[in-house]
Amino acid sequence: MKRLYRNAQIASEDEPSLRRADVLVEADRILGVESQIGAVDEAEVIDCEGRILLPALFDLHVHAREPGQEHKENIASCAAAAIRGGFTGFLMMPDTRPAIDNGGVVQTVLESARSTAIGRGIYTSGAITKGRRGEELAGIAGMKKAGAVLLTDEDAPVANPQVLRRAMEYARDFAMPVASHGEVPELSARGSMHEGSVSYALGLQGMPALSEEIGIARDIRIAEFTGVHLHLHHVSTARGMQTIQRAKERGIHVTCEVTPHHLMFHHEHVGDFDTSFKTQPPLRTPEDNERLLEGLINGTFEALVTDHSPHTEFEKNQDFATAPFGITGLETALCSLYDRLIHPGRLGWHHLVRCLSASPRRLLGLPAVPIQRGGIADFVVFHPEASTRFDAATMRSKAINTPFLDQTLRGAVERVIHHGVELISA
Amino acid sequence: MTPRKDLLDIASLSDEEITFILDNAVPFKDLFRRSVKKVPTLKGRTMLTLFYEPSTRTRSSFEVAASRLSADVTHFDVEASSIVKGESVIDTIDTLEAMRIDYVVVRHKQSGIPNLIARNTRTSVINAGDGWHAHPTQALLDAFTLRERWPDLAGRRILIVGDIQHSRVARSTSHICRRLGMQVAYLAPGSLMPRETPPEIKIFGNWSDAWDWTPDVVYLLRVQSERLTEPFFPSAAEYHRHYGLTDDRLRILDQRALPLMHPGPVNRGVEITDAGMNYSRSLINDQVENGIAVRMSVLYSLRPEPL
Amino acid sequence: MPAARSLLFSPEALDAAIEDLAARMLARPPRCGGEAHALVGIHRRGVPLARRIATAMERLSGNPVPVGTLDITQHRDDLGTLEHLPPLLGSEIPFDIDGACVTLCDEVIFTGRSIRAALTELLDFGRPSQVRLAVLVDREGREFPVQPDFSAHRIEISPHQRVSVHFTETDGEDAVYVDTPPPAAP
Repeated sequence: MKRLYRNAQIASEDEPSLRRADVLVEADRILGVESQIGAVDEAEVIDCEGRILLPALFDLHVHAREPGQEHKENIASCAAAAIRGGFTGFLMMPDTRPAIDNGGVVQTVLESARSTAIGRGIYTSGAITKGRRGEELAGIAGMKKAGAVLLTDEDAPVANPQVLRRAMEYARDFAMPVASHGEVPELSARGSMHEGSVSYALGLQGMPALSEEIGIARDIRIAEFTGVHLHLHHVSTARGMQTIQRAKERGIHVTCEVTPHHLMFHHEHVGDFDTSFKTQPPLRTPEDNERLLEGLINGTFEALVTDHSPHTEFEKNQDFATAPFGITGLETALCSLYDRLIHPGRLGWHHLVRCLSASPRRLLGLPAVPIQRGGIADFVVFHPEASTRFDAATMRSKAINTPFLDQTLRGAVERVIHHGVELISA
Repeated sequence: MTPRKDLLDIASLSDEEITFILDNAVPFKDLFRRSVKKVPTLKGRTMLTLFYEPSTRTRSSFEVAASRLSADVTHFDVEASSIVKGESVIDTIDTLEAMRIDYVVVRHKQSGIPNLIARNTRTSVINAGDGWHAHPTQALLDAFTLRERWPDLAGRRILIVGDIQHSRVARSTSHICRRLGMQVAYLAPGSLMPRETPPEIKIFGNWSDAWDWTPDVVYLLRVQSERLTEPFFPSAAEYHRHYGLTDDRLRILDQRALPLMHPGPVNRGVEITDAGMNYSRSLINDQVENGIAVRMSVLYSLRPEPL
Repeated sequence: MPAARSLLFSPEALDAAIEDLAARMLARPPRCGGEAHALVGIHRRGVPLARRIATAMERLSGNPVPVGTLDITQHRDDLGTLEHLPPLLGSEIPFDIDGACVTLCDEVIFTGRSIRAALTELLDFGRPSQVRLAVLVDREGREFPVQPDFSAHRIEISPHQRVSVHFTETDGEDAVYVDTPPPAAP
């Protein structure tokens, strides 16, 4: 069975402009990408006039909540949300209950992932320390053997530099990147938003940018000392990003990621204690938005990540300080990036393909999935003229804690093709 | 003026609303001199005080205000009831909703709780102090007290002294003062001064600079040293010496004939010397009396959503 | 379409009516004896009316007549449903009301509800020994058992019509009109 995607606009990380082409798919492979493919026997023809074909997306930062917090999300609902958003793969964070801190839990979550439609695309990270408590090293060798691809304590950064040093020294020999959420816990203690004019006005304990700036600087220095590949989670401050740029210039093996919400939103969006803007690290300032977007365009950031963090409506409908951190992102990422940044001409499709598809896969040692002859058929059909409304009735995630709830954004994911199979069809 | 549903902070009030509330408080205060200190305005309505943080003064001020408007007053004893059972604020609100309360007066140690409640009920919500966020009725009574002294506040200078970082009074009172055209300055130890305050507010780190600014009124904040979890200053005695209203500073206040304000209750020997309590130009007792009139005026200007 | 308007009192007629009210009130001294007249105007147009009657009485009798004001907003039975909250003007009674004889002044009496509210408000200040009522226009249509002791004009008009009393102090001119709104569209 063949499928011919006619008259499509192909996006790639290599060229800023879209390329008009027909794409022929058979089984899990792309047989041809030509400006015009003639009639093909027994092929289903799909007219993609006005549609954009993107290499399928990959999210390097997802909280799937399984095991332990399945009331918020589980791997199956998370995978469904991912597909809806155009992702055919993601990396799970280890902050589950219990934490993913030994080979057994890694095996369990990967087994659960295998039963979803994108089973082969779901990967997991493992904790650096047992229970992410920052004290004893987690079972790193066992996790590696079971399939973990990255080590992180995520939002509980290893506070003790000696523990982090030992962990990095140990992890280096297992060829796994160590990821860190740059933060000095004592400086951010009890905070619930960026420390600044809005936290002052709302009377909320702030989390100063200083905390992330110092955290990033410290972790880079320890990574340089130990020679490990350090990956920095969801950078939110311009100065934190500049520290990473300087480290890269010095040849230190460091990579980093940024979320769509840190490009689009800032602390003033918290407005009247709106908990759908409560996230960790917090939304900073308009100036940070600008600098981080520059960093995305100039290649400082390898990855755009959603930091998909589902919570129940009940949990989010508490006072701002008590409500949990986090917003969901898998379903809204592509449309929101298109609506807010690509459509207004502030970001190119090639940047998006690089940071939301190719480069995050490469960071984990996986092949990218460009739309080219002989490649794996792993792509998204996106309709820029259509629109998508995000509401509780239609979203696939169990959670609806997104700033885009009940909003309509430009663009729609019409089809998602994974290993040649159409997971979503128009 | 169109009645509003809630009073959560000063920022959400229009200039017209601020003036309306302050102007109407004048006839309410006149009421206190009559033999019958009561009007039938809120007859048949019920006001409930929901205090998650104890405050006898503010609570009784609201209760007197409501009863002078002929409202029925009831108190939800939070400590003794639900909070210990782990009931969430939202659950409590469902209970209140079922009781058909018209006005609920909320105090809570977390910023934003009154906003949360207001979003989830038809009841009119009055913020009686939430965390470090806002204390709008205190701000209104402060403004009323200042207006009694100077009918036109434009250009007058108020110096607010103390724990600015953790003070909802500083936030709300400075806000209303600026809306009424006053100039505002903060005086605090650097560790109790927020990093980002509105740019129009002057910042001082010592009394000498603050005196040079020639304030028209000095407003002392309560220093809640017992609540501070981090070492913001070495000791209460050192705070008093460097930032408190000492006997020497009280003399300057007296020489310049400046009025003194404080939201109460006062920490003697910390933010203010004992002698300061008998200062002839103190407006502290006026603030208490005006609090009732202003809260009556606030209740008059609010209206719950219909059932 | 503007309402049809007919003149009830010209400025001169209004002056004469007030003069006449003052004379009649002086002719019926209060029960508590002496010359102890005191007037209380009901906000808003009862207040200029009371002041003018007091001025006339002072001229005619040579004795001072104190004037107080009453704000009956808080006694209104429709307060909870008004779309716009009226500003509070406050009541001011600058004389000792206990044992006093007080004449309430209002521009029009119609249903009697305002006077009922005014009595409640007045009694919050103390216990007068007698309360009388003076109005400019006594309009047929009482819903409460309240009658004026003095009135300058009695009128019976249909329910949709309106008596509009204007004073220079509040409205920029002296006049009393009867307004008839345009007929409702068919």
